Amino acid sequence: MTISRTPAATQRGGLLSLAGPRLAAVLLGAACAAWSAAPPGHGGWPTVALVVAIVAVTAGGLRLALADVPEPEDAYLLSGYMRAWLNFLVLLRTLAWEEIAVAAVLWLEVQHSARPWHTAALGAALTGYLLITHIAESGADPALVLRRHAKVLALGACLLALGAGFAMIPAATPGAGSSLLRVLAAAAVIAAAALVIPA
Amino acid sequence: MITIADIERTGAPPEPPGSPSAPAGLGPSSQVRADEIEVRWRPSRHARRLLTLAAGGLLLAVLFRRPELAGLAAPALLLLGAGRATRGGLPGRLTVRVGLTATRINEGEPAAVDLIVSDVPEPGVPRSGAAAPGAVTEAGYDARWALEPGRGIEPGSATAVNGQAARFTFAIERWGKRKLGTATVTLHDRWRLAEGRVALVLPAIDCYPSPAVQRTEVVLSKLPNRLGEHRARVPGDGTEFTGVREFVPGDRQRAINWPASTRLGRLQVNTFAAERSQDVVLLVDVTSDVGEPGHSALDLGLRGASGAARAYLAARDRVGVITYQWGGAHWLAPSLGRRQFYRIVDALLQSDTGFARGAGFNRLPRAALPPGALVVAFSPLLDGRFVETLRDMRERGFTLIVVDVLNTEPPRRRAFADQAARRIWTLEQQAIRFSLRELGVPVVAWDGVTPLDLPLAPYTRRPLVTRR
Repeated sequence: MTISRTPAATQRGGLLSLAGPRLAAVLLGAACAAWSAAPPGHGGWPTVALVVAIVAVTAGGLRLALADVPEPEDAYLLSGYMRAWLNFLVLLRTLAWEEIAVAAVLWLEVQHSARPWHTAALGAALTGYLLITHIAESGADPALVLRRHAKVLALGACLLALGAGFAMIPAATPGAGSSLLRVLAAAAVIAAAALVIPA
Repeated sequence: MITIADIERTGAPPEPPGSPSAPAGLGPSSQVRADEIEVRWRPSRHARRLLTLAAGGLLLAVLFRRPELAGLAAPALLLLGAGRATRGGLPGRLTVRVGLTATRINEGEPAAVDLIVSDVPEPGVPRSGAAAPGAVTEAGYDARWALEPGRGIEPGSATAVNGQAARFTFAIERWGKRKLGTATVTLHDRWRLAEGRVALVLPAIDCYPSPAVQRTEVVLSKLPNRLGEHRARVPGDGTEFTGVREFVPGDRQRAINWPASTRLGRLQVNTFAAERSQDVVLLVDVTSDVGEPGHSALDLGLRGASGAARAYLAARDRVGVITYQWGGAHWLAPSLGRRQFYRIVDALLQSDTGFARGAGFNRLPRAALPPGALVVAFSPLLDGRFVETLRDMRERGFTLIVVDVLNTEPPRRRAFADQAARRIWTLEQQAIRFSLRELGVPVVAWDGVTPLDLPLAPYTRRPLVTRR
């Protein structure tokens, strides 16, 4: 027995495949902002960073949602509302909201004291956010993209864990120099892996 | 229904056979263009975002002396490294082929444009078949097509398609020479970190006015002495029986009516009507384009004229066209055949409201307006000079029929002055039509929806008497 998909089911499937990555991108962005903000810090800078992150994630989600809205062929004699709407669309499409969101989330994260595994999870979530945002805006097949990236992402997860492990090792001597050397060692290992492994 | 696409369709399909993107019914397309394009690869937005994450993580790791932030940058750095390592295999030049299922369509008729991107074939290397849509080529790039339709082009399918080959269906709602728009192909490498974007201007397509339905023809009572398919009043060698007369030497033996000869005791022969063709000149008034777009007077005029041209050409008449414009007229001499139909519609497509240099009616050569021709005019009768031209033609002895294509009125308003102006306008229009009828020019109104046979019915049942 064969099951044929009705046109309505096909349309639903198409709508879901279109809306799914967009919704996933917004949810991942929100999760990243919430994860890096918790527990809420006191003072001016964490609040500003949180507001910026929320605005950037929301604007990025709106940009993806309104990606298919066409612009009029000519902008002559438009009403004020229409002109404002078009300016809003231009603002959404011009600014790099995802980059702003990433920067704000990283800033939120460094406001807290060192928490290696928490930061590693945030790194995984941020990479996923950027990947799914790209899938949503380019219309690429998510299964195909993720299948191709699987090995590299697995290696990236290993390096994330390695970075967290470096942070867990206690410093040999107290002082700023020792921590800096530890950071440089971790960065060098990661950079070497990035240069050698893909080739 | 036979469409223009059926007539025009030829072989050499650029669409890969069995391609899932090809909607059934439109058939394969014929290639109209193949361009070799240069692709400039640059970092994609995805790459820039990953770079932000990597740079931010590393910078903060050093500034705050926290190794876990360096680990946070690791996946992004790995992806960037992978993209960098495979970037060398990306092609610098690609071939884009554009195909159309039809280069000429009627209003509302669906058509499709096929687009295929492939590597530039190297000399001596056998060419591989086109890959299925969505597949990655050997060179390792993905393609995504996006169509930005031109003015008046109604897309019939999704305007963005993944894959090397894409088919976009469309329809055109109003006649004219239309630009299909622009197709943009965005190429991504395997890691989606390098991006190449190329915009292609798609070819233009001729959209013909949808011909009105006309199955009957108006036939003149006096036809020129030329072989055709219309029954003439004079006897001849046609197939239609007209009577019996006494045999005279020279008559053909096969024409002898033996029952009548036996009954009368003298040889009787059957007589037949001659079969002649006529000259038909379609006179289209394109000075006024009033009414709703798509159902305006000009739309109706062109649809009616192309329908009439098709009907008279099918009846083996010689059909010509004169388009009356501001400042003069363009004309096409009457001729026969299917090719003449396309010539007529092309001449109609070139017409537009506005000023155009052309020959005046008084200067039209005899070839454009042959004596004794039937003139079928399509006009909203709003231009006084055109009405004067009709009167002048009638006085010169032409047999005219006017198809009134005005299907709109001035808006109804409450102001007394507006109402008075509207009433005066209506009376003036009635007067124009009355004066033409008084001159012996029938004026029939056509709404553009019903077949043209309906308003012309009183004149198609019997031959139209030619009065001088």
